Amino acid sequence: MNWPMTRQTNRQTNRPTSRILSQARKELVQFSRDRLTVALALILPLGMLLIYGYAIRLEAKNIPLSVQDLDRSPLSRSYVERLFATNQFIPAPLIDSSPLSSLDHGLAKATVVIPPHFSREVAEGGSQVQILVDGTDVNNARVIQNSIRGVTNFFIQSLPNSVRPEGIRARVRIWFNPGRQESLYIVPGIFGVVLWVFPSMLSAIALVREKEQGTAIQVYASDLSSTEWLLGKGLAYWLVAVAEAAVVMGVSGLLFGLRLQTGPFPLLLGTGIYLAAAVSFGLFVGARTGNQNGAVQGTAIVGFLTSFLLSGFIYRLENIPFPLSLISNIIPARYYILLTRDAFVRGAGWAGIWFVLPILALQGFVLFKLASKIMQSMQLSE
Amino acid sequence: MNFIRRLFESRFWALTLKEIRQILKNRQLIFLLIFPPTVQLLIFGLALSPNVDHLSLGIVDYARSSESREFVSALVENDVFDVAAYPKNQAELGQAVRNGQLIAGLVIPPSFDRDLNQGDSTDVQVLIDGVDANTAGIARGYIQQTINQYTRQLNPQFKTALIETQTRFLYNPGLSSSWFFVPGVIGLVLTLTGSLVSSVTVIREKDIGTLEQLLMTPAAGWEILLAKVVPLFILLMGDVLLASAMGRFVFQLPFRGNFFLFLALSGLYVFVSIGIGILLATLARTQQQVVLTSFFFNVPIIQLSGAIAPIESMPKFFQILSWLDPLRHYVAIARSLILKGVAVEALLPNILTLLMFAVVLLSISVRRFRSQLN
Repeated sequence: MNWPMTRQTNRQTNRPTSRILSQARKELVQFSRDRLTVALALILPLGMLLIYGYAIRLEAKNIPLSVQDLDRSPLSRSYVERLFATNQFIPAPLIDSSPLSSLDHGLAKATVVIPPHFSREVAEGGSQVQILVDGTDVNNARVIQNSIRGVTNFFIQSLPNSVRPEGIRARVRIWFNPGRQESLYIVPGIFGVVLWVFPSMLSAIALVREKEQGTAIQVYASDLSSTEWLLGKGLAYWLVAVAEAAVVMGVSGLLFGLRLQTGPFPLLLGTGIYLAAAVSFGLFVGARTGNQNGAVQGTAIVGFLTSFLLSGFIYRLENIPFPLSLISNIIPARYYILLTRDAFVRGAGWAGIWFVLPILALQGFVLFKLASKIMQSMQLSE
Repeated sequence: MNFIRRLFESRFWALTLKEIRQILKNRQLIFLLIFPPTVQLLIFGLALSPNVDHLSLGIVDYARSSESREFVSALVENDVFDVAAYPKNQAELGQAVRNGQLIAGLVIPPSFDRDLNQGDSTDVQVLIDGVDANTAGIARGYIQQTINQYTRQLNPQFKTALIETQTRFLYNPGLSSSWFFVPGVIGLVLTLTGSLVSSVTVIREKDIGTLEQLLMTPAAGWEILLAKVVPLFILLMGDVLLASAMGRFVFQLPFRGNFFLFLALSGLYVFVSIGIGILLATLARTQQQVVLTSFFFNVPIIQLSGAIAPIESMPKFFQILSWLDPLRHYVAIARSLILKGVAVEALLPNILTLLMFAVVLLSISVRRFRSQLN
């Protein structure tokens, strides 16, 4: 180590904790000098938060809907009016007076075909309306089907000859998120992705850089053990990660109106452990790969794909099919997202999520152990 | 014949051969061309599924009658809900939903069958966990429709509604989610692989310093660059074939449109992705910077393309922004040709935009490349 600080405080460095601390301090100084990495550490997480936070929405609003009204009666016109009164649909033109071609051209997502004798048939007791839905976007195909049915049921009740049968009425209440704001679902999930990818990427780059530049060998020559070295590095990048977490969560509070629904302890503790696990993952990848390119690729592709796709970030975890669902069980982001969604939306507190903390702690510990084992064997073989 | 002989004797041909040899020797590049696309297609195609089924439902049945049991079995008949628990009372049900063990709960009142037998209406309470807003909305729709239908069955005189809706899902009648994602992911894979591979091959010569040696040869800038682009193009077309084969045989995509048109337009998009890659390489100085900046570019390109989340559900601003995203146009083309089987006329706006992107990106990167050479 050609760092003056560690030499001056030689007496202090006899104790492992102070050796770890001075290693962490050195790492932070080095980090703050590398402009590109500092910018990367702060701008990329924010950019990702903004893009995902605003652009991932599953339910379409303003769906273009075309109508082929073969009846052209007052009744059919008021039915069409009711369809567009929901604000969910916007009118789209009908091309070539064929119900299919505006779907083919992608100008409409659905076409409603009202049959020629619609109003007479309704007066006589029953008519059929055909709905053609573009099934390409599976999720919104269902949403469209549901809302047209809902509007139709509503319309039926307003008809003069509708006799509402007495029966079961559902009083539906939606909990935790009564307005069904999708941002409340997506944004806490983003924390799981962003706070995994970037802390691990930074620590992986830092570790690999020392290997590339050969300064890692100087460490082997000093009295610093490889575990202490990794702990010092890890601590420094953990602090950077805490700063990232504070920025990302603070900005989401401002932009997306996220508020803590419970006491802060589960979130604080869980985030601390999660970030430590992410940093350990980065150290592990850094220990395994030989160059910075590989380190970035490894953390970006593996960390990103798993925390994005196998964590229940966009769609329900239960929908992941069998062999992949096994992998999703060992993805830390999957557990952390449960915790953030509880803290910011559900608000049940410890009762629903206590198991998250020991699982994350175990995963972080295993990852760190693996990293230090690799570094140790490297030190011995050197 | 003369032309062919001239081609084989040209400087360009020698440079191309050099590039091909270099690529074939580079194990990492071959790995990047085969492994990540395969894994990405598989994981995206299998893991992303918006299906709403087998939601865990808790039931508090205060009526405990044959009528209420029949009602419950009608509700879970289509597998949207699975009965997961019978909590003792409402408080216990609420606790289970709060802890995330149940997604929905149903409370049947004690007077359920008495009300129904007397011809009165009865209220059942349904509570749904709204954290996942999308699932909650679809689940609510299902519950209300099932209850409507069930009520009608109870009263034979109202068996048919005044207006019956009949839905047909076009292009994807089974609503299989991989049919939505896989065409988009083919575009995503081409973007990631194409930009990465092309930027890495350009930047490596810059890194090692061999680019200057190339400069000293009599070859012109465009010859050097074209010799780099052509082999990459051929290799990336191999990726297109790999992805289509996986789409056809793993995910059973229908490929309703003209397959050669699909290949040709994919080739056009490959040029766009190569253009992005070379542009990135001329912007950056080292390999590490390339990888970082490509990460920075690729996230918005993918996110705004509609490959993962539909464009129609984005806020207006992002919808407009997405027109500037080349991947958006390719994804639209891929979905139209693979799922809808539309004719080329319907795709003309997308094709022209892609063509424009290819020309602009390639000419900017050639110019930047040339100015760096001087």
